[in-house]
Amino acid sequence: MLTVLIYGAVTSAIFAMLAVGFTLIFGVARILNLAHGTFYALGAYSAFALTTILKVPLLPAAILSVAFVALFGIVMERVLVRPLRNSALAVLMITLAVALTMQQVLFLVFGSQSKNVPAFINHPVTIHGVSVDGQRLVALSIAIVLIASLWLFIHRTRVGSAILAISQDAEAAQYMGIPSNRIFSLVMGLSAALAGAAGVIAAPFLTVRPTMDLVPMITAFSVVIVGGLGSIPGSILAALIIGYSETIVAFYWNPQWTGAISLIAVLLTLVLRPSGLMGKPISL
Amino acid sequence: MRKRDWLGAGALVALLAALPLFLENRYFTGVFTVCAIDGIWAASWDFFSGLSGRENFGHALFIGGGAYAAAFMNGKFGFNPWWSIPVGIVVPAALSLVIGFPTLRLRGPYFALAMLAAAAIMQQFAVIFWQYTGGTEGIYGMSRLIDSSLGNYYFVLATLVATVAVLKAIAASRWGRILRAIKGDEGACEAAGINTTFYKIASLALSAGFAGLGGVLFAHYEQAVTPDDLDVFLSISVIIMVYVGGIGSIWGAACGGILLNLLLELLRGLGEYRLWVFYIILMLVLFFMRGGLVAPFWQRLQGSRA
Amino acid sequence: MRPRIPFLASAALMGALAVGSPAHAAAKKPILIGLDSPIQLQVGKDTVAAVKMAVDEINAKGGVLGRKLAYVVADEGMDPQLGVSAINKLTSEDHVNVLIGGYDSGVTLAEEPHIAEAKTIYLGIGSASPNITALVGRDYNKYKYIFRVNPLNSARQAAQIVNFADNVVKKKLKRNKIAILGESAVWVRGLVPVLVKGLEKDGMTVAYNQLFDETMSDFTPLLARVKASGAQFLLTVLSHANSDVFIKQLYESRLPMPYGGIDVKSMTPNFCSRVNGDSVGEITVNFVTRAPITKKTIPFWDGFVKLYHRAPVYTAPGAYNAVYMYAEAVKKTGTTKADPVIKALQKADYLGVAGRVKFDKLHDDLAGPGYQNVLFVQWQKGCKRVVVWPKELATGKVVLPPWLHK
Repeated sequence: MLTVLIYGAVTSAIFAMLAVGFTLIFGVARILNLAHGTFYALGAYSAFALTTILKVPLLPAAILSVAFVALFGIVMERVLVRPLRNSALAVLMITLAVALTMQQVLFLVFGSQSKNVPAFINHPVTIHGVSVDGQRLVALSIAIVLIASLWLFIHRTRVGSAILAISQDAEAAQYMGIPSNRIFSLVMGLSAALAGAAGVIAAPFLTVRPTMDLVPMITAFSVVIVGGLGSIPGSILAALIIGYSETIVAFYWNPQWTGAISLIAVLLTLVLRPSGLMGKPISL
Repeated sequence: MRKRDWLGAGALVALLAALPLFLENRYFTGVFTVCAIDGIWAASWDFFSGLSGRENFGHALFIGGGAYAAAFMNGKFGFNPWWSIPVGIVVPAALSLVIGFPTLRLRGPYFALAMLAAAAIMQQFAVIFWQYTGGTEGIYGMSRLIDSSLGNYYFVLATLVATVAVLKAIAASRWGRILRAIKGDEGACEAAGINTTFYKIASLALSAGFAGLGGVLFAHYEQAVTPDDLDVFLSISVIIMVYVGGIGSIWGAACGGILLNLLLELLRGLGEYRLWVFYIILMLVLFFMRGGLVAPFWQRLQGSRA
Repeated sequence: MRPRIPFLASAALMGALAVGSPAHAAAKKPILIGLDSPIQLQVGKDTVAAVKMAVDEINAKGGVLGRKLAYVVADEGMDPQLGVSAINKLTSEDHVNVLIGGYDSGVTLAEEPHIAEAKTIYLGIGSASPNITALVGRDYNKYKYIFRVNPLNSARQAAQIVNFADNVVKKKLKRNKIAILGESAVWVRGLVPVLVKGLEKDGMTVAYNQLFDETMSDFTPLLARVKASGAQFLLTVLSHANSDVFIKQLYESRLPMPYGGIDVKSMTPNFCSRVNGDSVGEITVNFVTRAPITKKTIPFWDGFVKLYHRAPVYTAPGAYNAVYMYAEAVKKTGTTKADPVIKALQKADYLGVAGRVKFDKLHDDLAGPGYQNVLFVQWQKGCKRVVVWPKELATGKVVLPPWLHK
């Protein structure tokens, strides 16, 4: 029982990290970014390249990786997405093309075999008689810290209020002199950094291979829709629901059904409550 | 359609019909067969999503639905392969009703995700219920519709032409105008007393039926069906084809399907760099030719001559 | 004429391969081998590498019937559509004399009718589903072109696993309660009942038995259930699954029992270092390793390492054998015509890298002592590979995973 509680929490935390960034960039810039899974993959692969090939110690490597992914996100937004922003479908397609291209780049540079990214803690930790892999606890704590800091950043700083203002009414915000383009870059960077960080911390216990971007992408999409597009609390709640239901199905019923069950949940939410759990279409 | 459009379409079809005669080998005939099938898929997607503005991210549900229907009829139960065609149209159309009623009031990303989820669920089922579906290996050992590969190609090409003609005709009628109006302002349509739900459902079913027909042709060409036929990647590929062809024009979408599949085969010589180069080209097209490639090109050609 | 481009490209490739051949042989057209392989994957890269090695060796000795050997590659990915068009390209565009390749059973099964229509001999070297050669029995005249040189089909692997469980798990390790985890591929579904029946017949019990999707990336729940079942040994059947992750999570959870079985990714020589040594203790089925299995094993292994600076994965010895077997059959019959060569292959008894290769009635390679066999290899301290079964080839003893050492 405690095992399910802990593992479910870790799974949910990773989902939340992916979903919060995805929903943030949608809420602020109306960008539905299909390259979001790519950020996750790039985080894991840069951590691999830095630690294993360039022999950088883990902590600086992790920070560099996240910075690199953030930069990648910003450049992508600036160069490819911004010129197409007036068409939602064009943005969807170009981010999709980025995702597919980067997947091929990973294949060509790193090959098809999966890679090993070192863990911060490589031994099990015992909590009330349940042995849990240390890295998972690290991942859980980092996820909580990062999401909490993001929350504080948005609600307690000037830049944060600018982000909030744009997400509520982009046009009005612009009249008030908020530089929306710079805010978009910033939010894209934050969104990419969060997904990249998820890749770095989950890589030691999940898989690192070129096709690793697809499942997190679909998961993020599902979590965000269930939670309500654009709503951060909604994403966190939905991440918990989907994370725990997958864990429970896997532990108590049949691991074959985990994927199908969460997809059915998504479909049901869409049918019964299309605006998601946290009702309002736009809220942060 | 103007006279020039008729001429252009006629010339294109004649070219497609003539090419395999000059390149007489099974490889090219096969490539063109798949090109034409891709054209059917793209045109059927465009008819619903391009006109109504609801992007369907799960077209593979209908394609795979048709393909698996064919595989069950012919591969499992041993029916004559021609029976696959009616069944492979009806099954996806029925699926579209089941999925369409609850989801069609959704818009934008909500509808996209609902369709994506539906196709992914079906794919999971194809693996989970392996006793019936053959799991990841799929169902194999099906027979061809027409034994001669050239004959088969002409049948597929004719089906493509018929598909585009029918869908184009509907798109040009009142039905098509209503779909476009729904894309613009659904509320206004309802206020004008139009039963938008009926038009949306009927259009999705039509789109699904043609996609399923394409799935049947594909299954009998490959003589095998696998869960890849329900994959999200297939759904995405179809959208890319339509986008490259020029969204909303139907015939442009079909050309996009033909063009992209041909390009992928032509890039075979690049070995493992093939997909990378393909996606880079795609990115350039998406970025620089925002309205797509084929349909806008034709229009510009017209404009400069007129 | 754009569609001519691939033809020109492949012609250029053939030309490049023919360069350097002596003038008298260059006059004759080379015998062309078509490789259909997932070239982005290691299994595909090693298929091509091993074929090149065999082709160069044979050409250095003057080729076959005075003709050089050459090859062309077509990517089949893991995608049936790509596979079918690869087969069609190789047969009707490049006009290859023989096809060698395969990895994903679903792709191979989709390709088979197209191979049969092209009436071209196909030597499978990668996929293990028994269904592939079952077609030869179902419609011999249509599918007689299909052979499997490598690996052993999954049913034969299962029989060897039962044998191993009886002799090593039960008799040496004194463990009777078995758990089985496998991926949900069709060949595994066919194999599990054979395993269960065999184990029970030999007096063992199956405490837990579960299949999972090949895309699964979190195995912790499964491992928790294996632990709870009270099993004493975990049998695995993994091929396309994320076995790197599986092994890491198994290590993390300190599963209280030894484990092993089929794990295709763990056959790769660098697997252990890729998972940071976590696989020490894992026992996996292998078809070849650097051990004197036949007189050809070590020369092949060392030759491959010398050429490519990496150890080969399982498709490499298969592809290498396939080239030689085809060359011998052609030499014997004096022609590349399919029917006589098929007859010669049916009678062939070839001493390969991993044992004798001989086909049964379904054109499927036989298993057993002397023939290609299953080796049980354990990763041991320092990521060394030790053959622990069968006895006559063993290079060491089974040890327990490090966390079980008292």
